[in-house]
Amino acid sequence: MRFELFIASRYLRAKRRQAVVGVITAISIVGVAAGVASLIVALAITNGMRRDLQQRLLGSTAHISLMRVAGDGIEHWQALTDRLRHLPHVTAAAPALYGQVLISRGARSGGALVKGILPQQERTVSTLLNSVKEGSAAALAPSPSSGAPSPNAATPPLVIGSDLAQQIGASIGDTVLVTSPQGELTPFGLVPKYQRFQVTGIFHSGFYDYDSSYALARLTDVQHLFGEPNLVSVISFKVDDLYHADRIGREIERAAGKGFMTTNWMEQNRELFRALRLEQVVTFIVIGLIVCVAALNILIALTMMVMEKTRDIAVLMSYGVRPAQVRRIFLWQGMLISILGTTIGLALGYGLSWAGGHYRFIHLSAQVYSLDYLPFAPRWQDGVIVALVSLGVSLLATLYPSSSAAKILPAEALRYE
Amino acid sequence: MPSESSSVVEQSFPIEGATEAAPFAPATGFDDSVMLRAEDLRKEYRSGSQPLVLFDGLNLTVHRGEMVAIVGESGSGKSTLLHLMAALDRPTAGDVYCASTWLGKLTATQAAAFRNREIGYVWQLHYLLPEFTALENAAMPLLARDEPRSTAFAKARELLREVGLEARTHHLAGELSGGEQQRVSLARALVTQPRLLLADEPTGNLDNHTAEAVFGLLERLHTMHRLTSILVTHNMEIAAHCGRTLRLHEGRLHEVRLQAGRSEDTSRQMATASSEAPGHPIVRTAFPGGNTAGTA
Repeated sequence: MRFELFIASRYLRAKRRQAVVGVITAISIVGVAAGVASLIVALAITNGMRRDLQQRLLGSTAHISLMRVAGDGIEHWQALTDRLRHLPHVTAAAPALYGQVLISRGARSGGALVKGILPQQERTVSTLLNSVKEGSAAALAPSPSSGAPSPNAATPPLVIGSDLAQQIGASIGDTVLVTSPQGELTPFGLVPKYQRFQVTGIFHSGFYDYDSSYALARLTDVQHLFGEPNLVSVISFKVDDLYHADRIGREIERAAGKGFMTTNWMEQNRELFRALRLEQVVTFIVIGLIVCVAALNILIALTMMVMEKTRDIAVLMSYGVRPAQVRRIFLWQGMLISILGTTIGLALGYGLSWAGGHYRFIHLSAQVYSLDYLPFAPRWQDGVIVALVSLGVSLLATLYPSSSAAKILPAEALRYE
Repeated sequence: MPSESSSVVEQSFPIEGATEAAPFAPATGFDDSVMLRAEDLRKEYRSGSQPLVLFDGLNLTVHRGEMVAIVGESGSGKSTLLHLMAALDRPTAGDVYCASTWLGKLTATQAAAFRNREIGYVWQLHYLLPEFTALENAAMPLLARDEPRSTAFAKARELLREVGLEARTHHLAGELSGGEQQRVSLARALVTQPRLLLADEPTGNLDNHTAEAVFGLLERLHTMHRLTSILVTHNMEIAAHCGRTLRLHEGRLHEVRLQAGRSEDTSRQMATASSEAPGHPIVRTAFPGGNTAGTA
C-alpha cells in the first residue's frame, strides 16, 4: 500500500505532460470542496432552523402531558401533581384545564382553546407566558391579599394570542365574552355558559396554532366557566431528557395508576418534524449532486491520466508491479483528490457555518420567520456523513479508470513507443 | 566472457506475491544448466483478416551465464521474442521456460512477481518515470515489492554507484543525459539482483561513444552479477562482443559468426537437430543440438 500511495501522491503533485489533466484535477478538487462545503452549510442551516423551531415549540409545549383515558378530567390533581413531580427525570409539573370556547368582542368572534393555569407552576413547564408582547400576564397570578383569585370577580383576566386578538379586534383592556358550549340546563333548554373576561395580555409565540387559537386564564376562572370546580384535564411535565420523553411518559403513566395515558412532544409534532427531516434529506440529495458532478470530474481526470500514463504503467508492470497494484495506484489517485477536496470543503463549510452563527450576517424578516437572522447549527455527525458520502462517490468514480489501468498489457502498450 | 557461469548454483524460482503456486516445467528432460528455453514458439498478430506470423516453430536455449545477442531486421520480431521471455506477452503457441518456471502457465500476478524477482529489463528508451529522481527510479522494483524504503534506497544507491551515477541520485529523470538515463535504467534492472537480464536495443538511442560506454558497463555488470543476458541489438560491433549471436530472420533463429566487424551467417537453422555439439557446457548452444559457432 505504501508503494501505491507513494506513486499516486507523486503523480498528483507532478507537472503534467498534458496541462488539461492538471486543470481537470484542480477542477475536481474545487468541485468536491464546493460540494462538501455547500452540504455542510445547508445542513447547518436546516439544523439551525430545526433547532430553533424545536426550542420555541418546546418552550410552548410541555414535554409530556398526562390525562385520563376516558377524558373525564383528573380529580385530586394537587396530590397527584405533587407525587409525580418527584419521579426520576421529571423536573417540573403543572396542572391545566382545557376547553373549547368562543371568544367574541362585539360582532367579531373566534373559536379558541382556553387553558386554565396556575401561572407560577405553568412557567416551569412552558414559556408561553414569557412571550407576552403587549400588556402583561401578571394579572393571572393569585392576588397577594387573598392568596387566590376570586372566581366571582366580574371580569377575570385573560391573555390571548396575537392572531386571535387581531381576528376579534381586541386590545389590552378590552372586555371579551367567552362562551362555553358546555351549557346549563334551564327551563328554556340548554343555555350556553358565558363569562366576561378582560384582555390583560397578548402573547406572540411565533406559532400560528398558538397565536391564533390559544387563550390563557386562571385555573379557577376556567373551572368556574366549565362548572368543574375540582377538575383539571391535563398535568404537564418537563423532563431532563426530552429525547426519552416516551420512556419517561410510560413511567409517569405507571405511577399515576389505571385510567391514565400520556402523550409527548414528539407524538404531538410528529408530522412537523417528519417534514423537516424530509426537507433535510431533499436538501442533502440536491446539493449532493454537486459532489456527484465533482466525482464525474475525477473520473474524467483519472481516465485522461491513465491514457497519459499508459507507457509508464507498462514500464511499471515490466519490472513486476502487479495489476492489483496498478489498480490501487489510480484508486489512491482518485481518493487523494477526494480527500483533499473533502478536507478543504469541511474546513470551508464549518468555517462559514461558524461565521454565519457567530456574526449572523444573513438577516431574515422577523414577521415571516419569527427570527431576524438565519440560524446555523453545524453538527459533527453531518461532517462525518458528508465526508463518507463524498469519499464513497469518489471511490465509485475511480473504479472504471483504475480497472482499465490494471488491464493494460505492457507489451501492447510499448510496441508502438 | 562468462567463464564463472558454470559455478552458478541451481535454485528454484519462488514467486513471491503470487497466491497460487507457480507452474513448473515438466521434470523430464530438465537441464539444470539451462536458464531459458523456448520450444516451438509461434507468435502471430491479427492484422485485418490475415494473420501476421512473426515466427513459427522457433526454438531457443540459453545456458546460465551466457551473453547472447539477437540481431535481425526491424520488424523481424526480436522485441516480441524478448517480451515472451519476460512473460510480458504470451505466445500464440509453444512454451517458454525460465529455469524451472513454465511462463505460459503463469497468471498475470504470478508473471509480475516472476519479473520482479528474476528478470531485469532494459529498453531502448530508458523509460524512467519523469516524476521521480534517479534514486527513486532505480529503487522502484524493490519498492513495488514493499521492501522498506531505507533498504530499497540503500540497494539502489549501491547500484547507481556501480553505474557511476552516485552524484546524480537526486536528479529527476529529465535532468539526466541520454547515457545517464540508460545507466539509471540499467541500475533499475539490476537492483532486484535478477538472474536474467533482457536488453532491448539498450544502446540504440545513444551516440557511438556513449553506446560503447553503456555496453562496456553492461558487460561488466553481466560478469559481476553472474547474469545470463540476452541483448537485442542492431549494432554488430556490440553483438560481436557477446558470447553468441543469433540472427532472427523469417521467423527462425540462425547462429551468426562475427569477427571484428565482419559477420558470417552460418546459414544453419537453429532448430536442426544435433545432440553431439562439442564445447563447454555453458557455451554450447541449446537449440536442440545446435552448433557452437561463435561461442568459444
